[in-house]
Amino acid sequence: MIEFDADGNRMVLKLVYYGPALSGKTTNLLKLHDLLAREGRGELMVLDTQNDRTIFFDLLPFFLTAPSGLRIKVKVYTVPGQVQHDATRKAVLQRADGVAFIADSRRAEAKNNVESFGNLERNLSIVGIDIDKLPLVIQYNKRDLPDITPDEEVRTIWGPTGIPVVLASALEGWGVVETFRALVERTYDTLDRKHALLGTHGLTRESFVQRLACRAE
Amino acid sequence: MDDGGKTRIDYFVGMDRSLGEILSDSEVAPLLAAAERAGLPGAYVVDPKGNLLWGNGSAAAPPGEAASERTILVEGEPAGGVALADPAPAEGPGEALLCLLADTLTAMAHNNLKRMLTTEVHTEVVNRSYEELLETNRKLVVSEQRYRELAGNLEIKVRERTEELSRAMTRLLQQEKMASVGQLAAGVAHEVNNPLAFVTSNVQTLKKYIERFLDMIARYERACEKGGIPQPERDELRKHREALRLDAISRDAGELIRQTQEGTERVRKIVADLKGFSHVDEEGEAPADLNREIERTLSVLAHEVPPGAEIDRRLSPLPSLVCRPGLFCQMFLNLVRNAFQARRDGLRLVIRTAVSGDRIVLSFADNGPGVPPALRTRIFEPFFTTREVGKGKGLGLTMVYDIVTSHGGTIEVEDTPGGGATFVVKLPIQRGGHDKVR
Repeated sequence: MIEFDADGNRMVLKLVYYGPALSGKTTNLLKLHDLLAREGRGELMVLDTQNDRTIFFDLLPFFLTAPSGLRIKVKVYTVPGQVQHDATRKAVLQRADGVAFIADSRRAEAKNNVESFGNLERNLSIVGIDIDKLPLVIQYNKRDLPDITPDEEVRTIWGPTGIPVVLASALEGWGVVETFRALVERTYDTLDRKHALLGTHGLTRESFVQRLACRAE
Repeated sequence: MDDGGKTRIDYFVGMDRSLGEILSDSEVAPLLAAAERAGLPGAYVVDPKGNLLWGNGSAAAPPGEAASERTILVEGEPAGGVALADPAPAEGPGEALLCLLADTLTAMAHNNLKRMLTTEVHTEVVNRSYEELLETNRKLVVSEQRYRELAGNLEIKVRERTEELSRAMTRLLQQEKMASVGQLAAGVAHEVNNPLAFVTSNVQTLKKYIERFLDMIARYERACEKGGIPQPERDELRKHREALRLDAISRDAGELIRQTQEGTERVRKIVADLKGFSHVDEEGEAPADLNREIERTLSVLAHEVPPGAEIDRRLSPLPSLVCRPGLFCQMFLNLVRNAFQARRDGLRLVIRTAVSGDRIVLSFADNGPGVPPALRTRIFEPFFTTREVGKGKGLGLTMVYDIVTSHGGTIEVEDTPGGGATFVVKLPIQRGGHDKVR
């Protein structure tokens, strides 16, 4: 968590879209920006890019206020996927409250997915986050493309881990909100255990998820 | 941790910033001045709590309460507002100007925030890369140092290893040789034993036969002397007996047999010693009485003892020691032979055995020329010899050293009081933590 100011009645959370280069992290945020209701979210901030490759990060902020008056700001970030930007990835990952791992479904990218997930595990350990306690969601993106890892195989790989897997095509705009919703749900569960969102602030899981992941009419 | 546990993370992305941190006086003041020139006097900027940030708004009210206020957004969230001291002009064109001012400040804040974030990340990455480079450089220096040292020591290491190897090979060769010599000796001993057995038995029988002949001859003689045989024949018999020197022969016969029996007994003992010494019948380790092994070695070496040499055995009772007796005999043989070669005339060798604490202490003291202190560590090296070329291979003491150390013992050379060298061997009675004899 970036910030919890009990006196100021304010909480700032961080969700991170992680994954190998060109797996569609920024596209996910762009689509979220398009698909979700304007109310309760800020504008997408895209920091400088180079040939469409993220070199810093992208940011999409969300806001909501709990019945108790607690103001919650959720900042959703992407990391640069290219190997050389590891220092930036660590800085973005620091104090994250949840991670969506965006994998590239194409068979040729399987090795990059594995390497990037290994990088995520290492960096989480370096920044002092326990991967077993972190809300984590996997998205298999680019399901619209040919020559992809079949659904069955994806479930065989990730099923035993208990991590939710969402199949998506960010480009076509499906699976994106589902991924975000799954991540927000898990994040609520963790937060509720720590900060009694329901007990102290009267904020239910449904209302938390609904306000953050509300589709535009 | 992947980075050697040293990674410090003291920068993270996401900290919220206030409007006062994002915008500066030099950026806002000209905007407010321009607004005033455009007909919007008294515009001021407040933070979310209503505190005045910029402008001439002494009568600042909390945001929302000033009717004229327009919100400034940062990351889509209200971060402050711009309002007018006198709300009157905030209508018509004034309101448009006020909105424009708020939108301009929002855009400015947005761009400033982007610039700040990119600069921060950039600076952080540069700093971290620099630190990583420094760390890599430090590791390289250490590694280079280590390789330098390795390179420097390589020659010494190679020499040490070569010596070790040559020592090990020598030991193997010597053991191999010992084994074959021992087998040969045992084979010869076995072959000698068979004829020796019937020679011994036959001599014994022969002794009984001769005794019977002599007894019969004596009886005939006594019968002759009593008469019944004519004088000329008796003279004839006496002459023949003198010619045959039968009296001397019968006196000598017993002695001959006795000496022969002594001889066969000696052969038997030598053969037994040879077999015992080579220990070819024994496989591996066995409990041994070192005093007995020393005696055995000395008897095998009996023919090599220099004339007039004095060997003084001062052997105390020893507990039995589990070892490879054949190897130990070889060790004693080399130590005793070393003493024999140290001095030919007037050699005096004192062999002592004793128990000291948990060790057996053996010492072999000669009165030869002794070993100069400078050579004391070298005499155990393979092929080191002080003897003339051809007289010694320089392996004897190396073998001794290897046998002693492989048993977990120590060997040292000291001066014998009054001149000479004393080899002191200390052997642990129990070899608890030590390796078994190779």
